[in-house]
Amino acid sequence: MTRAGKKRLAGAALVLLLLLAAAWVTDCDPALLWARRGHLTDLTGAMFPPDWGFFPKLAAPLWATFQMSVTGTVLGAALALPAAPLCAGSFHAPAVLRHILRAIIQITRSFPALILALMATFLFGLGTFAGTVALTVYTFAIMTRLTYEDIEAAPLSAYRALRAMGAAPAPAYFRAVVPAIAPSYLSNGLYLLETNVRHSAILGYVGAGGIGLLLNEKMSWLEYGKVGMILLSLFAVTCVIETVNGALTRMVREEQSLPPFAKRGLLFTGAVLFTVCAVTAAPPDVSHTSAQMVRSLLSDFVRPDWGFFFDLSAAGLGWLLLETAAIALAGTCAGTVLALPLAFLSAGRLVPRPVAGLFRVVIMAVRSVPFLIYGLIFIRATGPGAFTGALTLAVCSVGLLSKRFLEAIDALDFRAYHALASMGVPPLLRVRHAVLPQLAPILASAVLYRFDVNLREAAVLGLVGAGGIGAPLIFAMNQYDWSTASSICLGLILLVWAVDGLSGKLRKKLDI
Amino acid sequence: MLLSVQNLHKTFGSVAALSGVEFALNAGEFVSVIGPSGAGKTTLMRVINGAVAPDAGEVLLSGASLTAARGRAKRRLQAGIGTVYQDFALVETVSCRQNVLTACLPDMAFFPAVCGAYGKDRRDEAAALLDRVGLSDKTDAPVKTLSGGQKQRVSIARALMRRPDLLLADEPVASLDPVTGQQILALLRDIQQTRGLTVLMNSHNVEFSKIFSDRIIGLASGQVVFDGPPAALTDAVLAAIYGSPEAQP
Repeated sequence: MTRAGKKRLAGAALVLLLLLAAAWVTDCDPALLWARRGHLTDLTGAMFPPDWGFFPKLAAPLWATFQMSVTGTVLGAALALPAAPLCAGSFHAPAVLRHILRAIIQITRSFPALILALMATFLFGLGTFAGTVALTVYTFAIMTRLTYEDIEAAPLSAYRALRAMGAAPAPAYFRAVVPAIAPSYLSNGLYLLETNVRHSAILGYVGAGGIGLLLNEKMSWLEYGKVGMILLSLFAVTCVIETVNGALTRMVREEQSLPPFAKRGLLFTGAVLFTVCAVTAAPPDVSHTSAQMVRSLLSDFVRPDWGFFFDLSAAGLGWLLLETAAIALAGTCAGTVLALPLAFLSAGRLVPRPVAGLFRVVIMAVRSVPFLIYGLIFIRATGPGAFTGALTLAVCSVGLLSKRFLEAIDALDFRAYHALASMGVPPLLRVRHAVLPQLAPILASAVLYRFDVNLREAAVLGLVGAGGIGAPLIFAMNQYDWSTASSICLGLILLVWAVDGLSGKLRKKLDI
Repeated sequence: MLLSVQNLHKTFGSVAALSGVEFALNAGEFVSVIGPSGAGKTTLMRVINGAVAPDAGEVLLSGASLTAARGRAKRRLQAGIGTVYQDFALVETVSCRQNVLTACLPDMAFFPAVCGAYGKDRRDEAAALLDRVGLSDKTDAPVKTLSGGQKQRVSIARALMRRPDLLLADEPVASLDPVTGQQILALLRDIQQTRGLTVLMNSHNVEFSKIFSDRIIGLASGQVVFDGPPAALTDAVLAAIYGSPEAQP
């Protein structure tokens, strides 16, 4: 065996070992799931047929959900535009400022939107304002990161030329660099709008407004017909937004030639939509916020509970973080296994169009359901605990992973495949040697990215009792136990930072 | 006679790509097919290597009909032909050696083929071929890191790995700069002469074809309008192939 072959074998063995460890930590028990599979369907069955009469009551919270996501996405993305060059290494912003900004972004990125929303409710009261603030901060962190990475990869010769002619840095940046990164910036923004709609549908769980409030209420009152109606309308909203978004993204990416008046019309529509959303937004409710509370929050937050932080027992932070990481790993792995066949079945290049269309709808339906609902469904079969968390994340990963896999299949280059065919290579071997090598790096990159996302999602699964760090964190926050909350946050930041570094190294090594 | 092409017809929709093409190649010849864009050159290549089935006519390889063969028998005949493509048709993400080795897949048992367990002999042979085409230092580099000329060299090594009797080259230098193109053709000619290979090449470049070929076939509107030595390729003949003198390349 060659050295490269030995290395690959060692890598595969390591991955397998990690997966087995993750399965052990999360108490994976497929037999239990199989034995209690009946419980998966009874809840789903109770939701259908949905309670159609409930629909008129949904309009207002659906609008509030949409309003939060649009306002949050636009504000966050707009703020990212001036912040990104300050973080990019290629501009000579003061190093101190760059490091501080990057640290803030890295820290913010460690928290799921739901935790940010919970924090916002303490400052701005219950309601959509807190949700909007959370989504703004969340979008700002991600967009700044993506944009400064784009800036670092973009050619800066035009910027330098403008600077050499005496232009000030800011105008030179907006005239020379922003147009170059605009397609990527806009399509990232559109993608975040899509995720934010999904996120804002659950922010109500922590009182941050939107349809999640209603979903939580109907779920706990066991009014499953109404829950079904909410899910159905979420599915409809997701369908509309994904379709519109898909068209807009294609327009941005391929610069589809639009007449100027159509471009202006689109911009105007967007501006009007944002203004309506922003102007009609509910004001913050600060009646419950006192200077005293904010002061105790801040003073306790800078004093983490070190005893809990360094506790190595099963009740300590270390174990909880390990469990969170294991849930994310097991969930990502199971999600990949589910997503691969779905992606192939929904690829119009490989299967008949109607079949592909059907599977695309299935994937969209899976994506449209908020992940906490999956948590609540799985909990009935496998009980509270980490295994339920892993199952939930597996189903949640399917949407994004199969979408990425599908894009990879659509972009496949079949020339090498045909070249092998003309040499007399049988079909299966052609797929193995001419198709899989092309797919592998894209698949690996998508899986790594999803693992990153799952790590944050795993941190809120505790909300429904599905294991991980989420339950203690939310519990501590609701108890105003800020020093415990602070040590958990610190642990989460460190975990995300470590995984970020590892996956960066892995990406470099695999060249993806 | 190594290759015999008999009365080939192929239409795409209402366009006749080939209408009654006939010629034969003897072992060890280097033959260029020239003609304007749309004359049917690429279709001819694709019919000869079995990628496209003709509407009528036959392709005989050493007397065996490729057009009549199906399934395993067809693949066995195809295995005796190496093809070099204008756009290289390589798997970009894997190494040069891995790409060359894919040419061995038709001869291997299923499981070793799936696992890519080619064995030491084949791996050494692939390395030797890459050395032959001047890429000894790129053996394990991913194809995506190579220049166009280097990619075409890998593609030639892959075709040679089949130990073919017949090498088809579909505009092998059309996407390369003139100097690199000449180097690639010189390499191809050199290999053809040392190995006694038969080469059938499509070309847009009449000058290159005159320098490197033993024989030239002129194709226009899907028909053979010239078949002779380079010396016989006069301006009048070129006008017949390419239409008006202005249309000549």
